[in-house]
Amino acid sequence: MLKDLCRRMFGRSLWVYHANSGGCNGCDIEVLNVLTPYYDVERFGIKLVGSPRHADVMLCQGAAMRSTARALRRAYEAIPEPKLVFAIGSCACGGGIWHDSYSVIGPVEKIVPVNYYIPGCPPRPEAIIYGVAVAVGLVDKKTAPVQFKQAEFPIPRYHPSDLKSDGEVVVYEKLDRV
Amino acid sequence: MSIAMAERAKLEALRARFGAAIRRADLPGNGRMFVTVDPAAIREICRHVFREMGARYVISIGADDRPFSGEFLVAHNFAFDGDGVLCGLLAHLPGDRPALDSISDVVPAANWAEREFRDLVGIEPMGHRYPKRLVLPDGWPEGVHPLRKDVSWDDVPKDFDEDLEFKFDEAPDGCVVVPFGPFHPTLDEPAHFRLYVEGEMVRGCEYRGFMAHRGIEKLAESVLSYNDIPMMAERICGICGCVHSVAYVQAVEDAAGVRVPERAEYIRTIMLEMERLHSHLLWVGLACHIVGFDTLFMQSFRIREPIMWMAERMTGNRKTYALCLVGGVRWDIAPETGAALRGVLDTLEKEWRGVVDAVTGDRNIQARTRGVGVAGPDLVKDVGLVGPVARASGVAIDCRRDHPYAAYGRVAFEVITERGGDVWSRIVVRMKEVFESIGIIRQCLDKMSPGPIQARVDDELPVGRMGLSSVEAPRGEAHHFLVTGEGNRPRRWRVRAPTYQNLQGVPAMIRDQQLADMTIALGSIDPCFSCTDRMETVDVRSGLRRTWTQEDLVRLLKKGGA
Repeated sequence: MLKDLCRRMFGRSLWVYHANSGGCNGCDIEVLNVLTPYYDVERFGIKLVGSPRHADVMLCQGAAMRSTARALRRAYEAIPEPKLVFAIGSCACGGGIWHDSYSVIGPVEKIVPVNYYIPGCPPRPEAIIYGVAVAVGLVDKKTAPVQFKQAEFPIPRYHPSDLKSDGEVVVYEKLDRV
Repeated sequence: MSIAMAERAKLEALRARFGAAIRRADLPGNGRMFVTVDPAAIREICRHVFREMGARYVISIGADDRPFSGEFLVAHNFAFDGDGVLCGLLAHLPGDRPALDSISDVVPAANWAEREFRDLVGIEPMGHRYPKRLVLPDGWPEGVHPLRKDVSWDDVPKDFDEDLEFKFDEAPDGCVVVPFGPFHPTLDEPAHFRLYVEGEMVRGCEYRGFMAHRGIEKLAESVLSYNDIPMMAERICGICGCVHSVAYVQAVEDAAGVRVPERAEYIRTIMLEMERLHSHLLWVGLACHIVGFDTLFMQSFRIREPIMWMAERMTGNRKTYALCLVGGVRWDIAPETGAALRGVLDTLEKEWRGVVDAVTGDRNIQARTRGVGVAGPDLVKDVGLVGPVARASGVAIDCRRDHPYAAYGRVAFEVITERGGDVWSRIVVRMKEVFESIGIIRQCLDKMSPGPIQARVDDELPVGRMGLSSVEAPRGEAHHFLVTGEGNRPRRWRVRAPTYQNLQGVPAMIRDQQLADMTIALGSIDPCFSCTDRMETVDVRSGLRRTWTQEDLVRLLKKGGA
């Protein structure tokens, strides 16, 4: 359904708003690359706009930070419906290597609902174009764009502080709070 | 005068002036000085070093050393660029009363660094004129200092108030506040400026940044190990990442006395210069975009792309090269890769001449940038501006020459300076530096000989040693301070990115300028907020949404600043 909606609403023009909520710049410059001559996404009608009120799509880069969460949420709310959110890069998709640091909330999906994930650190320009092209129905998907839910794919996670040493054996205690 | 003699002379001068206040001095003889001083005299000593001995202020570091010595530690780092000496002035503070005299009235450049250690470590800079919160999020409660050793890296205080708004200062009389950010449309990172505007003129501003503060230093001190950290260090910044990973491993090597094979040093140098190339090309493109010259923006990105491909061929990734480990590098450069690199450089040199001619021959760009965002030599000294910003003001500082590291001591290059101090001079400096970088890479390829690329580091690294490292990033000097520690990880690691100092100069650069020139003046320091860091867009009083985006400002200036 999402795909049909995308094709109907955004097929010929996709105006994107870029929100870096606290990333390192690496994804930013790759997104910038996508807009310039070698990759040139304007041929698909994709254009970067300066105001969330003009945008169809929000590109999120960087993990959700405690200091930018509020601004990110407001930017999302300012985009008129229907709207899509892309999480670009490992930090936006999963929180990155600092996902549990004191100033980081985690992946951007904790603040705004995310429709598509483009992982990579940083993702290649080709990967970004492919992700967007799949979303607007220009190419067939090779993987299903599903939202990841922790409950359906339980992965045991361990925290370094929970590794308890018992003589020569290291005991891993499964952690719920991650 | 050799470096060791210069160090000794500096120490003798300090001893002669301050006598017993100089408690201890370590001179490892490699251009580093660690002088432990009496905390009561720190302000006077810093003033003397900064004003009379002509040192350049680098950074101040606060550290919680209580688990090891029961004390807090503050280091004020200075650089004697002419002599190639980096000097740390250390003060030990009692564990129950961490406070010392602020030096920011005699060394204005220390303003942010002191506010940062007040936030993160809880050391009070007594007499600081503006001790406002700098780094921590708005809702973070007072009195919780995440870089203290008794606070875990994932501790978020229970009384963290998500809805608390940052208290901005009142605007001066007759001025209107124009909020700028935190999300800019032209691919910048989050940072918020509140500009005080009178008519069209900017009279001042307040900066609320550090929104990309990710707690990197804390993670390094508590979770990762020595050889994990280079991978995180290069994610401090997506543009100058290799700079930070090299600076970090050099700080460890400096502290622990690890010697790096010569070939590894050449490879580090080549990758650092590759990074400077792609960063300067990116910046010139963005600067042209900001002043409304989009053709050159597209051109410089077209020219830049082969460098990214080359980086991928050399290291396996377009960015975040995962190059450095303590004691060497991970990727060698094969002969055929070297030949391909030469080909890329030849094309780049030819095409870049075309861009330089287009920019220098364009009257519009000059009209938009000459006399804008001026920083004079006094501002450079007081605020500690570095890199192309300082060099465009005629201050010839360049870590590659002044504090040689990696293979820079073995290659010849010129330090480019200009006299104007304005945005135009910064454009010229960066454009010329591209040619110097191409020359450095060619010399490295000529000079490097086959050999090992990784030193064996078998023994555990010694504990409690200090290391300093300065690396010339595309934006200026990146400085890392490190204390080695137990458990295969550093005890304290402090990163000072070039933008940290350069951003402090922005309020002075934009004062009494046209509002429309704000973007290019800010852009001209090549701000990199993620390096530095590690809001609010609605005018609260009127409730009116009036965000001035960069694009609005660009539109305004195209209309001639209507």
